[in-house]
Amino acid sequence: MSRMFKMVSLLLALCMLCGIPFVSAGAEEVIDADLTCTITLGNWPPDTAPQAEKDLFENYKAIMAKQYPNVTLVPDYYSYTLSNYVPMAKGGTAPSIFQPPFTDPQLLISQHLVGDVTDALEQFGVLDQFSPSYVEMLADENGRIYGLPRDGYVLGMHINIELFREAGLVDSDGLPIYPKTLQELAEYGQIIREKTGKAGLVFPASEAYGGWLFTNIAWNFGCVGENALEYQDEDGRWVCNFTSPECIAAMEYMRDLRWKYDILNADATTTDWAGAHSLLGTGEAAMNFAADDSVDQPTANKGLPVEDFALIPFPAGDAGRYALAGGTCYMFSPDITADQATALMAYLKILGKLPFLDDSIIAGMRADYAAKRDRGAPVIPAISAWNDAEYNAAKQAIVDEFSNVDMRLYADFFDSISEGTITLKSEEPVFAQQLYRELTAVVQRVITKEGADVEKALRKAEESFQEYLDDEINDY
Amino acid sequence: MSRQEKQIRTHAKLAGDIQSWMIMLPGLLLMTFFVWEPLFESIRMSLYKTRNVELVRFIGLDNFISVTGKDDFLQALQNTFSYTFWSLLIGFALPVLLAMLIGETTRGKGFFRTAVYLPNMLPGLAVIILWSAFFSGERSGVMNILLGKLGVLPQSYLTRAELVIPIIIVIATWKGAGATALIYMAGMSSISPELYEAAAIDGASVWRRILHILLPAIRKLAGTLLILQIISVFQIMYEPMVLTKGGPDNASLSLMQLMWQYAFGGAMNYGKASAVAVIVTLILLVMTAVYSYFNRKESDWD
Repeated sequence: MSRMFKMVSLLLALCMLCGIPFVSAGAEEVIDADLTCTITLGNWPPDTAPQAEKDLFENYKAIMAKQYPNVTLVPDYYSYTLSNYVPMAKGGTAPSIFQPPFTDPQLLISQHLVGDVTDALEQFGVLDQFSPSYVEMLADENGRIYGLPRDGYVLGMHINIELFREAGLVDSDGLPIYPKTLQELAEYGQIIREKTGKAGLVFPASEAYGGWLFTNIAWNFGCVGENALEYQDEDGRWVCNFTSPECIAAMEYMRDLRWKYDILNADATTTDWAGAHSLLGTGEAAMNFAADDSVDQPTANKGLPVEDFALIPFPAGDAGRYALAGGTCYMFSPDITADQATALMAYLKILGKLPFLDDSIIAGMRADYAAKRDRGAPVIPAISAWNDAEYNAAKQAIVDEFSNVDMRLYADFFDSISEGTITLKSEEPVFAQQLYRELTAVVQRVITKEGADVEKALRKAEESFQEYLDDEINDY
Repeated sequence: MSRQEKQIRTHAKLAGDIQSWMIMLPGLLLMTFFVWEPLFESIRMSLYKTRNVELVRFIGLDNFISVTGKDDFLQALQNTFSYTFWSLLIGFALPVLLAMLIGETTRGKGFFRTAVYLPNMLPGLAVIILWSAFFSGERSGVMNILLGKLGVLPQSYLTRAELVIPIIIVIATWKGAGATALIYMAGMSSISPELYEAAAIDGASVWRRILHILLPAIRKLAGTLLILQIISVFQIMYEPMVLTKGGPDNASLSLMQLMWQYAFGGAMNYGKASAVAVIVTLILLVMTAVYSYFNRKESDWD
């Protein structure tokens, strides 16, 4: 435990013992005493959360009470799923703020199930600082904003270095010789399988996960632009395109991973996101398509030491090098008033989710990174969703202070983003979850039936998803 | 009977009726609110184009036509019948056998009763997670470890289309057979011991006693449990949802799971989800009616 962390912890403990919330001098000032409303906080930690996390939120609440004395905050822990949110939104019981993944905002916006915060963002002067790709994800066709990015991620690949070492895939410095292309992925995976008997690649192909990961592979085979998996034609109708030569080639590649190279985990069709992290963390698989925001899963949660873990860029295909950019966002109940929207932005500012810096926000970041380090999770820079240089530099300085990893194991991943050698791409634009489900079924077919007709399976999925698009958008 | 007497009797009957209705009222209100209203609302919703839970416009049978025209529906329908078939094959006779064996046990009967019921007390999801570790295709899967001791290479179980439904039924039977066995044991305990004694004196073998005394005595009970089992298996959902997610390639997708997918699996199409629910209800109604018909006919013959 570093000296600085000890001091911060001691200070927090003293404040709690004295019964006073930990607030910085700047946080004591009243900002708006006239703003009067109540907001329910679905992003509040559950009762089972670590005490430090609960204390952190109590501290945020105390700051809010100082700055906006007539705004009442009601903690209301809520674990979002699409299925449980819809009845709550329709019944008027949804919390004022909640946290859906980036796959859902467009669906929620199109169904009028979320509240508009554009004017409140304007009021705080941050509307222009959004990364444009996030604006695209969180706005409707008129440019009205319905959500804020909580954290962003870029899909890459998690590596279990121990298995690479066993397979002889390390250089003279002990760093993993990792695959830079999808072809190398297949070949290295095969070496790992032969040398260690473990899966070269864990591929979670259950529910929507298989399709979700497949889209990223398909982009690297050229399923972008005019060959995109879904696009709007000149009449504005959404068209599904799973039978392009590029998409077929990508699916053939999936089949080869199973039947030619035999690098996939045994139960791919029942493996989900958590299961994939578990297999990598426990040394049952060497590689996993995963993002920078889940590096704590195989390490802190599954016991893989941070020195045996690396994060690398998504391997390139013949047609390019694309990586999915996504994350979790904050969205708001459909019935929020203008005052509530303002109060919610003020609350998010205190949480450090708007690009503002003050002592309390920096203290919050320090506590967050210190907690990560103590849990045995890699402390690495976060990908910012804000185009604000000062804000981003301050975060990097704190990361450096708490870093517990050899950054050479992450450098290529972050450099590929900052240097633009990888193209970031958001998820397919409409009904992504349904698209993933259709593609998951095809992935499952080709990795469980050696003789499966790839084109026929893709055509069936295409017809099914086209019917869905016609039903839900084109002929609505 | 004088007019006055008639009036008094009518008033007394009405007073009795009112009392009965008052007793039934809370139950009726609860049934109306929690069972009938959602049931009728579901039927109504299946005839409408929906946007989340709102009814947009009446579209007649379009939801039914769209749903039944898809491959995944036909696959789910076939799978659901397959679940029923395997359930009857694996799970129908086992509780009878368990009940008979425990009934014949002279020592530790209480222990065995508790032991067979124990899996039923475990939470359903915990059971599925337990068995998923057993049937894991990785080297660390319990089944593969056991087979490894016999020199067999690791096998995949849950990714093989031909195996998933029987495996799911084995798990469901493991969990539920004990509870059904207890019902059979209760039924068997009502058989007069004198019948067995008389049969024993006449020199009837164990098999003949089972065939001519036990099985006829529990026949009606077995018939009722059969239809309940079919209804229950026809609504199978969480087992495939947790264990295989309906895969591989929809090989374990059930009708109820398909309904869930339409409603909550990203599509948010409650109209089509309701159409699937109505279809399941109709199939079960037909099956129950057929059973009732034969049951009544059999009673008439008796």
